[in-house]
Amino acid sequence: MYDFIGKTFPRHDGVAKATGLVEFTFDIEIPDMLYGRIFKSPYAFAKVRRIDTSLAESLGAVVLTPDSVPDRLFNPRLVSIEEDTFKDWRVLTYTPRYLGEPIAAVAAPSEDLAQRALEALKVEFEEVYEPILDPFKAMAPGARPIHERIVRGRTWVEVRNNVAAELRYSEGDVELEERRSDVVIERRFHVPRRYHVQLEPKGAVCKPEPDGSITVWTTTQTIHNTKILISQVYGIPMSRVNVKKVPIGGGFGSSIHTNLVTLIAVGLCLKSGRPVKLVLTREEDMVHDHVSFEFYMRIRAGATKDGTITFGEFENILDIGAHQVQAYPLLGTALGWFVSLYRWRAVRYYGRSVYTNKVPSCAIRGYGAPEVTWAVETVVDEMAEELGIDPLEFRLRNYRGRGEIFWGQGPTVKSVIRSDGVPELIARGSELIGWRNRGDPRSKTGRYRRGIGVGRGFHTSGAGGPLSGAIIDYSGAIVKVNEDGTVDYITALQDHGGGTLDAHAKIIAEELKIPPSKVRIVWSDTATTVYDVCTHASRGVYVGGEAARRAAAEVRRKVLEYAARILDAVNPEALRVEYDRELDDAVIYVEGAPDRRVTLSEVARIAWQRNWGSISASVSYRATAAPPSFTVYFVEVEVDTETGIVRPVRVVAGADAGTVINPELAAGQLHGGFAMGWSWAVGDEVSYTEDGVPAHRLSVADYKIPTALDLPKPEEFVVLFASTYEPTGPFGAKGLGEAASNPVIAAVANAIYNAIGIRFYEIPITPERVLEALRERG
Amino acid sequence: MRVRLRVNGSWVEVDVEPHETLLNVLRDRLRIRSVKYGCGIGECGSCTVLLNGRPVTSCLVLAAGLDGTSIETADYLAKTELGTRIVNALLLEGAIQCGYCIPGFLVTIYAALKSGMIRRGDSTEIARAISGNICRCTGYINIVKAVRRVVAELVAIGAD
Repeated sequence: MYDFIGKTFPRHDGVAKATGLVEFTFDIEIPDMLYGRIFKSPYAFAKVRRIDTSLAESLGAVVLTPDSVPDRLFNPRLVSIEEDTFKDWRVLTYTPRYLGEPIAAVAAPSEDLAQRALEALKVEFEEVYEPILDPFKAMAPGARPIHERIVRGRTWVEVRNNVAAELRYSEGDVELEERRSDVVIERRFHVPRRYHVQLEPKGAVCKPEPDGSITVWTTTQTIHNTKILISQVYGIPMSRVNVKKVPIGGGFGSSIHTNLVTLIAVGLCLKSGRPVKLVLTREEDMVHDHVSFEFYMRIRAGATKDGTITFGEFENILDIGAHQVQAYPLLGTALGWFVSLYRWRAVRYYGRSVYTNKVPSCAIRGYGAPEVTWAVETVVDEMAEELGIDPLEFRLRNYRGRGEIFWGQGPTVKSVIRSDGVPELIARGSELIGWRNRGDPRSKTGRYRRGIGVGRGFHTSGAGGPLSGAIIDYSGAIVKVNEDGTVDYITALQDHGGGTLDAHAKIIAEELKIPPSKVRIVWSDTATTVYDVCTHASRGVYVGGEAARRAAAEVRRKVLEYAARILDAVNPEALRVEYDRELDDAVIYVEGAPDRRVTLSEVARIAWQRNWGSISASVSYRATAAPPSFTVYFVEVEVDTETGIVRPVRVVAGADAGTVINPELAAGQLHGGFAMGWSWAVGDEVSYTEDGVPAHRLSVADYKIPTALDLPKPEEFVVLFASTYEPTGPFGAKGLGEAASNPVIAAVANAIYNAIGIRFYEIPITPERVLEALRERG
Repeated sequence: MRVRLRVNGSWVEVDVEPHETLLNVLRDRLRIRSVKYGCGIGECGSCTVLLNGRPVTSCLVLAAGLDGTSIETADYLAKTELGTRIVNALLLEGAIQCGYCIPGFLVTIYAALKSGMIRRGDSTEIARAISGNICRCTGYINIVKAVRRVVAELVAIGAD
């Protein structure tokens, strides 16, 4: 039984956030600061002849052009090993490849002056090309190359047919398995680009220090990779770049890489020698900065009469936009999601990432898993129906569970599944939603039709594994005991809001048997922390939390050594530690002689007074697995066959996250994960005109984000946690953030099918599409 | 031009440009950081403040026309009795994630409880009252639960 794990404590930063006193990047002000603005390309594909900066400079602005930054290609995401990193970005460019690509930047003492200087820049274009917006046109013979050469690792490589990266994989005999199959289904799926709608637009502040170093505050999911990239791009030693951790107003993958705005702010700061703040407007953030990947998928799969899945073939074309953030690794993870969902006896995969003249794509929550899971779960549902097998039974027979090899994060990150709550979640969830009574779509009539659907999926907990692989994945933690027995926890790991760091505080508290309120989570920076790769891949609790636990365990050993001296015990093994509710502290006592006792606070004080030294530990931890957190969603929807509007009626969200550390915050991940998945299923879409101009209006209003009226009410949403324990996780915990949204589109689409008998192979399933499909069917 | 504003209980005089929004004045001139910029076009609700007791998206209000008005922001309202209840409820229900939108929600919830827009405290009534504020993290469920908790507390102490 735990003292703190699994219990509810108000989050450490909650009051500061609710009252608005927490400072986000947007809120940071430094005396004598300049304000930056970016000159963004008005064309989606063009070549700049010259930039006349004289007028802007005469206004008193500092101007940055492509000539004033190092001409060094980079990839803003530093997570793959260097050999697998494709570099095609510049801080500023004379060859803009998407509408909004930064060409120049200005900084001035006021926002107004910066804006005037921006308008005073004269950028003359040598050529404006017709933009290539469609990946299939981009690959067609004769298409203009968007990039001619890029750098892979440290080597120049030619780009052919605008194909940015490619991955092929096969296992087993697909043809043989297809011949053995009694049912074969082939479908094509399309997922558009979507915008993250993180509530805080991106920004950065860069300050020169008297010792010649710089300090950077910025919207990021990784301070250390930001430090490394700034160092690489500008050729500054890493010891002269300090990146401060700032709260982030929503991540969801949008700041999984180092944002261009950060590098431009650094450039302006270095040139001006003054602090510079550069923040994006919502319009800039939404239209010019980032979107998610667009998927064109083809899946062909088979099964035998007895309900065994035989083979799966998967073709995956990604429209990545004008630059690579993680185009190559996504080809690997998309395959990983596919392979790890079910026990295909044979697999064939072909993945291609294709350049187009659109805003570069980056990860969005799930990194391809929601999209692939939707496609696979649709095909699996169809196969089950064709075979006359209950879709739940069909899934239970074929999914990859305990004891099997699993490689969600791609072919180089394999590990064995050790905990699996799928059977429990399917059993309990189906009961709660009333699966047996969901009815046949053919028997449903009337204007409003209800349907129940299931989606099963997972996400990895991090990207660790027994072998080093192609992905960098480890975390650091420093735990030190103050002289009064309180604890400082110092980590670079970013908490996007899910409560990751509160989980860490509880893990440390549990290990030391002190209350979480005695653990301070220090707002740190790269100079005072050890490396943490990034908060992504749902790794915060599983990897970062285990690093914290190990550091705390080392601290506990030292505390016991000191306590043994104080208590005159023969050695620390003779001691026991307990949380004492009355003293609100850890009490260390001699087993069998409980009156020989000392509190952790006393140990800390005595160690200080007697010059024994500080009690602290620093840990760098790599996980040897990336266990799947399974999720099973049951969703009931109601389709209005006159308007085409789909409404959520009830949701049962089941998650196997191992031991649940923060129950109310973990439930919040499922609420939010559903909301985002629902939004993808029925609303989110970014589209472009033929000129490469974003056609979605530049407002949150026109990009339909669900409000409280569009989503289930508390009484319509049930959260289930499986009673599992992951032996490799801190106190048995796994990840959750992305698993929470991965199967949602699938469950919603399957529910819509159960309501009206129509399958959709393109999302979002908008009212227009529903009406059109109903009309076509007649 | 010069305008006198009663901001969080104290009168201040500020020089504003004709095109300047209340959001700019509060954030940039008065350094009130609880008012968050989210979209600049009145859609997300992150910059919600009370103007003469009524909630407005401060990015849509021109400051020049506000002479003599009273403005209250999240950090100030959080210190009132009702505001403290709301903050505690948000905290206890796990309604705060990234936290960027939350000050705006606090102001909206405060105003809806004061004006009687939220009276019964059922989920639909609450959802309607907060539907002008966008949150991308929580799916609103724990926010709705937090408001229900506040309403239950107010009923228990016999407040109207």
